[in-house]
Amino acid sequence: MSTINRELPEIKAGGWRCRKCGRDLQPVTVDLTYVGSSFRVELPGCPDCGLVFIPPELALGKMLEVEKLLEDK
Amino acid sequence: MDKETLQQFEAQCFQEEPPACQTSCPLHLDARALAACLSAGKAAEARKILDRHMPLSGLSAYLCEGPCQAGCRRQELDRGLDLPLLERYCLSRTRAARFMAMPPTGRKIALLGAGLSSLALAWELARKGHQVRIFHQGPPGGRLRALPEDRLPEKALSEALEGLGKLKAALAETLYSPEKFKEIQADYPIVFLGGDDPELRPDLIGLRRADIQPDPTTLLLAGGRLLARPPLEDGGHRYIDDLAAARRAAGSIERLLQGVPPDSARAGEEVYATRLQVNLEGVAVKEPAPPADPRRPTEAEAAAEAGRCLQCQCLECVKNCVYLRHYQGYPKKTAREAYGLISTAFGIHTANTMVLSCAECGQCREICPNGADLGRIIGLLRQQMVETGHMPVSAHEFALEDMLFSNSIAFFRHQPGRTRSRWLFFPGCQLPASLPRAAARLYEHLSGHLDGGLGLMAACCGAPARWSGRPRLTEESAAFIGRAWAEAGRPTVITACPSCTLFFQDRLPDMPLKSLWTVLAELPLPEGAVTGPPLALHDPCSARMDQATRKSARDLMAKLGQPFSEPPLGGRLTRCCGYGGLASAANPGLADDFARDRSADTEAPLAAYCVMCRDRLRAVGHPTLHLLDLLFPEKSPAEALKRPGPGISDRQENRRAFRLNALKEFWAEEPEEDQAMDVTMHIPEELAELLEKRRILRSDLAGVLKAARAEGPQFVNRETGRHLACLRPRQVTFWVEYSPRADGSFDIHDAYGHRMLVPGVPGEGADSAASREGFDPMGGRR
Repeated sequence: MSTINRELPEIKAGGWRCRKCGRDLQPVTVDLTYVGSSFRVELPGCPDCGLVFIPPELALGKMLEVEKLLEDK
Repeated sequence: MDKETLQQFEAQCFQEEPPACQTSCPLHLDARALAACLSAGKAAEARKILDRHMPLSGLSAYLCEGPCQAGCRRQELDRGLDLPLLERYCLSRTRAARFMAMPPTGRKIALLGAGLSSLALAWELARKGHQVRIFHQGPPGGRLRALPEDRLPEKALSEALEGLGKLKAALAETLYSPEKFKEIQADYPIVFLGGDDPELRPDLIGLRRADIQPDPTTLLLAGGRLLARPPLEDGGHRYIDDLAAARRAAGSIERLLQGVPPDSARAGEEVYATRLQVNLEGVAVKEPAPPADPRRPTEAEAAAEAGRCLQCQCLECVKNCVYLRHYQGYPKKTAREAYGLISTAFGIHTANTMVLSCAECGQCREICPNGADLGRIIGLLRQQMVETGHMPVSAHEFALEDMLFSNSIAFFRHQPGRTRSRWLFFPGCQLPASLPRAAARLYEHLSGHLDGGLGLMAACCGAPARWSGRPRLTEESAAFIGRAWAEAGRPTVITACPSCTLFFQDRLPDMPLKSLWTVLAELPLPEGAVTGPPLALHDPCSARMDQATRKSARDLMAKLGQPFSEPPLGGRLTRCCGYGGLASAANPGLADDFARDRSADTEAPLAAYCVMCRDRLRAVGHPTLHLLDLLFPEKSPAEALKRPGPGISDRQENRRAFRLNALKEFWAEEPEEDQAMDVTMHIPEELAELLEKRRILRSDLAGVLKAARAEGPQFVNRETGRHLACLRPRQVTFWVEYSPRADGSFDIHDAYGHRMLVPGVPGEGADSAASREGFDPMGGRR
């Protein structure tokens, strides 16, 4: 669980804010799940509703890497 | 897949069979490896090979007559490799490796005669710790002593005897007599008669020559305790046979001592013809250069001779297969590795991509002199991956979704104005996806010429399900088509795509089939058909076994008056474009190499009659057209050769358009317009290319935008004003960054996806984070 967190590059909210709650994004803790594995990570998200922001470099970088790793397990 | 299936397959691939030199050597010396060492200047390594295969190598390698020369495949070109020369070179430059004798076993064995067979056998037995005594009359060595110095240096014999002494193999000079023989037999439970020593005359020990007829496999005489190298007949003697006799006797004695039947597991000890296939085509003649001093060849002379070795291998299939070359395998090895890794219960499944990258195209089977079909094994392993939950979810998902998309808009109609169909045209999923207008013109042409009614069915045959290793989905897909065909009145199905043909032959054996190309070749040419520049005709891998279709394609070209040539490796041996077996879905980069391999075969522009071949060959830059580009041209052949294939979104939209237009044009229907695309998007060209690589469809973006239009985007950027919306319609979450325009359309800035489940993202797939079973046709959005 902690491995992915440690290796995650620092994700910047880059001016995004939650449309529904109108709040600026702040680090929130969230559980990401894939093929039976779960990872607790910290990502920019809405402090009220908790929805996290996934930027392209995370989706196409680290996340893809971990997805492949888990699929090959 | 069970182990037995693997083993049966392994037995079909002969690449690991020993080379002819080795199987024609009574000692099975690995001459190929020896030559490889010497041509690389590694004499010490070469010596180790001699030591391993030859008893008393320091003596016997001088004596070897080199029977492998006659077996050497070079013999068919120039001259067999001169192994005795290489052996002498090795002896002159190296010393035998030191080895440790085994601890004493206390087992006593007597050898009579001190010829080469006895000395070699003594060496074999003594180093195993047995107590060996050689009873000889006259000086040890027998006939070896009579050999001239340049044939056998005297030193070689004396050093061999010294070596035996160090092994505690005792030499005992004696006078042969029947009594002495009886005494030895009483003292020693096992006795060997070395008949190659001329001093050991049978009559001296009270035997007749006729008594010494040992079993050829075990060298045992009746009674089971006496073994013999029979006394030599006149002429035809070879020292290599003395050595082989020693090896054979040692094997029998070891079995006797261990209480195992002496004839058990002896297959392969004899000289035999290897099954290794070696293609000598294109191998240059290279006559040997005799050394200045044959007794003492120089390093350069030895290396030159060793360099003549062909390093015999089969690898016929590998030479022509991008996949096997990439994974540095051959069918036996690749199957074994893949089986081992896929069958591992835990740990990392590094073979997954390997198993998913084979095109299952059948080329290796057709090239193999023994018909070993790696694709069949790969297919079984894919099924196993699905069954055990190790199939990577992402590998085939897009292709299977695409298949389900085709079937979601599938339709069947009898020919306009008719209620029965004698024929059914089945264009498959990719022809309408790539050439929707030509496919419509084709239907028009066929229906104008065929009697009895020509129905039209647009759907996917189901082949992708089978390629993906999913038996249930395969069954369902075939059943879907099977039902529709039965409802249509079981007409003869005209298939445009040879993959559909293959799939139906296998899954719907009652379905009468006829290739589109055969039908077209029999009909008059369509009006407006054109010819292009000279073309090379590429056969799809799916027509590999379909000689009739291949012939029809050629007949059609001839009928058209289209000049064409045959690229190397056509017909039964044709190359796959990389789409086969969904290789392009699982390993796009390698799959492109398949197409590049085909492209490299010819300078001529290609003509294909499988539309995926045509699009994939074009995609790697080879000018390629489809036969329909000539029969129902929309552009000039020169333009058709360069027309890029459609992207993934275009393919789906083309299928949709084919359906809509066909229903409107032929059946005067007003089908309800599809709602998926009622979103107008502006996508910059570079982004469109990225989306293609990320396998994100425009309809995926539209889905996200429609949800955002209803519910609002998830995020808004306070600096740029852009919106970011996400949706998980199935087991993928899509994110779209966009700006809405005043007219209700959208400027798309970026779009990406991930499979990992992030809580809070809306959509039908919001609760599923990819089950281990992978693609579930019953789940997801349908």
